[in-house]
Parts: sequence; structure tokens; C-alpha cells
Amino acid sequence: MDFVTMNILESSMVSLCKEMGIVLMKTSYSTIFNEALDFTCGLADMNGDMIAVADFCPAQIGGMPLLVKSCLKEIPIDEIEEGDVILHNDPYRGGLHTPEHTFFKPIFVDGEIMGFAVAIGHIAEVGGMAPGGFCGEATEIFQEGIRIPPVKIKKRGEDNIEVWKLLLANVRTPRTNYGDLRALIAAVDLGEKQMTQIYKKYGKQKVKDTVNDLLLYSERRMRAELEAIPDGVYTFSDKVESDGIDADRVYTIAVEVHKRGGEFIVDYHGSSPQAQGPINATLGVATSAAYNAVLHMTDPTIPRNSGCFRPIRVMAPPGTIVNVDFPAPEVGGNTETHPRIVGTILGAMAKAVPDRVMAAEGATHCNFVFGGVDAETKEFFACYDLEAVGWGGRAFADGNDGVDSINGNCRITPVEVYETRFPWRIESLAFNVDAGGAGQYRGGVGYTKQMLCLNDEIICSQMTDRHLLAPWGLNGGTEGGLGATLVQKNGVVAMASRPSAIAWRLPRMSARATSPRRRP
Amino acid sequence: MKFSQSGLYIESYVKCANCGVLIYESSAEDASRKKVHDGQTYCSQECVDWKIERDARRSKATA
Repeated sequence: MDFVTMNILESSMVSLCKEMGIVLMKTSYSTIFNEALDFTCGLADMNGDMIAVADFCPAQIGGMPLLVKSCLKEIPIDEIEEGDVILHNDPYRGGLHTPEHTFFKPIFVDGEIMGFAVAIGHIAEVGGMAPGGFCGEATEIFQEGIRIPPVKIKKRGEDNIEVWKLLLANVRTPRTNYGDLRALIAAVDLGEKQMTQIYKKYGKQKVKDTVNDLLLYSERRMRAELEAIPDGVYTFSDKVESDGIDADRVYTIAVEVHKRGGEFIVDYHGSSPQAQGPINATLGVATSAAYNAVLHMTDPTIPRNSGCFRPIRVMAPPGTIVNVDFPAPEVGGNTETHPRIVGTILGAMAKAVPDRVMAAEGATHCNFVFGGVDAETKEFFACYDLEAVGWGGRAFADGNDGVDSINGNCRITPVEVYETRFPWRIESLAFNVDAGGAGQYRGGVGYTKQMLCLNDEIICSQMTDRHLLAPWGLNGGTEGGLGATLVQKNGVVAMASRPSAIAWRLPRMSARATSPRRRP
Repeated sequence: MKFSQSGLYIESYVKCANCGVLIYESSAEDASRKKVHDGQTYCSQECVDWKIERDARRSKATA
């Protein structure tokens, strides 16, 4: 193992992944990309193993290996040609949820395929029952937007026009989607171009051998970390409040962690059957959540690649809330159930490594998705907006305040951008200063945002959690505060989030614009 | 996972009853590892063994 070359190569590849992300951020149209950074860029070898990734969205980082491997099961490697770009979002074939679009482009060197440049991004509008595909009333995946099996959106460098037309005919905002899809392609184009240069600089065999060493190195370091954790079977369970359909029913996420030497096995048997509403997680989500939890408890300097995931195994029973079967809805599984799974694993491991886990966090992205026809531009707009929560207190520090939930690592869209791009006015945005659970180290706090609708009408849908069941504390720390969504009409509360409702669709809201608005 | 004869759509999703991974009918690797136990399909003998061990452990715990 040549450590010097391995380190240089690893740093080069991670820098390249960051650069891919910057290209995506700078060239995209939607705020979910250029402000929230809800995407991830990486590199894979020809087996689909992730060999490098930048620290963007953890949900997508953990999901990447299964996504690429699932595609390769359907499109054999010998059918992939230079210049092809493959697109995929199918949650039942390794995907995370319908909005998460994965692009990957083969890296050819002297006619031989060496690996793939990969970009995964949350497309803000995907068709379906409500703008953004997030609808609390959905009972089938067909209400959650367009489902795309692995297809070539570019063939040998040329656009596959039929695929583009089909995609853009099924969304509310084709112009914006076109820009965002092009941005994702720009990211994989850059990854392919630069990685080809790396192969040419070092030689194909040298890179191949060094990447194999790198994966092995990550695996060994992860196993060494896990070996330091006491062996045992650790159990914990937590509840998801509701599926949005049956407001009185709670759903259990049960985990049994088997820590055996350098192995970490997460068994979800005992979790609730899949829900009728859209809170079901896919296998990709359940797997990614286990990886995410382990990464939070172990040395952050271990290179993130498929090697460090090898010691982790997941048992996710089909037909349950952690491994949804076709055609049940799933869009909230990636945003709401994923962080709840991570929290449940951390809760189990609190008995083994209390100094490495935190108490429960907000565990919701407060998904606020809206759209409508802009009264000024007459164009349909849509936005997927996520809001921050507080993270759990730790053994050595308070919880983080006002940050995205544990699987997102996304930024909150600034008020100024929000008001410029969409017909809302943000009337107030303030921390809920006493909302964090009390203790030696308190839980982090979330915030309250008050918005005024400035359009004739906006269709809204919200999917959130922790309106009824508070985040739990650890080691004597108290519970954190609850969330709420209130809709006011003429200054009077006309609708409040129902108890136990994780996901619900807000009614059409209307208001008269009270001041002129600028648009870019 | 079973595709239609035309290959254009999925006729049925087949998942391992223990770990939940998709088992592709067209994959020689998947076919060679696949096991059937008590009428349920598993991706490997390892998953069958895990299921038997879990059942034994849980029935002992509730006894």
C-alpha cells in the first residue's frame, strides 16, 4: 500500500467531488440547489462502489452505492457507452424517494470503462398530487410524481430527446426543471472530464490498485473503530406520530444492533408494517440511515467510501415502514423516517457509547412545499422548502441550534432570496429560545417563521413531525419542545396542525398582495 | 425482481424476507445464492441462518 499516492489521490478525488457540487450549485435554477445544497456528488468504480464523495447530503451519500449498483443490474456494463448519462429515481429499485434524481456518467479511458461520476439531487418539482410531490394525503406512489427507471438521458454525448420530452411534460415547472437537470449533468460532465485526467496522469492500473487500497484502508479503520465499542445486542425503539392518513395511529421503528467485533449489524425486524400514507422508507433509506448513524459515532477522518460501509449490515424486512413495497407512497421516508431511524440507532448505542451520541433531535425537515401561478409573471412556480430544527444535547456540549435535520446537512434559504423568488413575505423569524430540553447540556432550539402569502393563491403541502411526541432526552436530560403549524386568515387562526399528524395538505391560501414585489 | 418478457416493465418485486434486498431473476449471481426456507425466499443461506437465530433468540426472551 503506497500511502503517499493514496492520500494524494483521495484528496484529489474528494476535491473533484466538491467542485462538481459547486458547478451544480452555481448553474442550477432552484433554491433547493443553489441555496439549500440538497445534492451530493461522488465517484464510483465500475462495480458501483463509491470511491469518493464530498460532504453534502448524508442521506444521499449513504444511498449512493445501492443506487449505482441497482442501475448496473438493469443496464449491463457492456451496454454503457462513452458519453452516455444515465438517470434514475425509482424508489423501488434502490432509490431514496421520488424527488431524488441520480445521474451517472461513465468514465472511459482509452476505450475502457473505469468508473462513474455520480450526482444525486432533490428536484424541487416532480409532478404528482401536490407541487413538489410531497403530499400528506398520498396513498400510492403515483400521487408522488414521475417515477423514472434507469434510462439514458444522453446517449453517446447526444440528448435523448424522447426522454427529455417525457420528463418535462410531467412536471409543473418545465423551464426550472430543465435548468436543474442540466446542472446535474454539468456536474457529472465535470467529474468525468477531471477523473479521466487523473487516470491519465497516474495510469489506469495505478489508480485502480490505489483505489482498492483506499477502500481497504477505510474498511480497516472502520473495523478498528467498531472493535473499540463493547460487543453486545443493543435495542431501542421510537415512534413516528402519524402517516397523514390515519391521524390516531403511531408507527414503531424498532432496532436491534448487534455489535460483534468489527461488525455492526442493524436488524429492523419488529418495526411497524408499512403505512398507508407517505412516511415509508425504502431499502436505500434504511441502509443509508444505518451508515449515517455509524458515521456520527466514529472517527470523522475515516475516508468516506464503500470501504467504510463494508462492516455495516442491514436487515430491513419487506413491507414495513423501513422497506416499503410497491406501490405504497414513500416520499416522507427519506426526510422524516430517515432521521428517526438514525435517532433510534443512536438511542440504542447510548448504552454502549454515551459520549458519542446525542439525545433526540427535531428529526423533521418541516417539508413545506408550495406552488401556484405567479400573479405577476403568469408562470407556475414551485418550491421545496426545508426548515431547521434543534439537535439533541451531547455528553460534552449543548445541541446545535437551528440546523437542518441529521440526514440533510442543507442550508436554510435566506429570507431575502425567499422573498425575491416567491410570492411570500417573511414577517418574522426567531429562535424558540426555551424549546431545547433542559439538562447539563441542553438540547438545541428550533425557530418560528411567520409568512404572509402575497399571491392570489398558493397550493401548499406540509409534511412534518414532532407535533405530538417530543424529542427524548438522555442521561436525565428533559424532553425538547414540540412543533406546530398554524394558518391564520385575517389575523385569526383558521387551521392548526392536528395532533399526531405528520403529513397533511394545507388548503389553498389566498391573500391580496400588499406591496409590489421584485423578481429576478 | 421479475421483468416482463419484453423487458419493459416489472411483473413482480422479489425481496429477501430477512434483509429486504431485491433478488433479480435475471442475475446468475442472485440465482446461485438464493434460498427458499419455510416458503419464503431469502437472498442467501446467511439470511436464513440469521432468521432462525433471531426467532430462537426472541422466543427464548419471551418464554
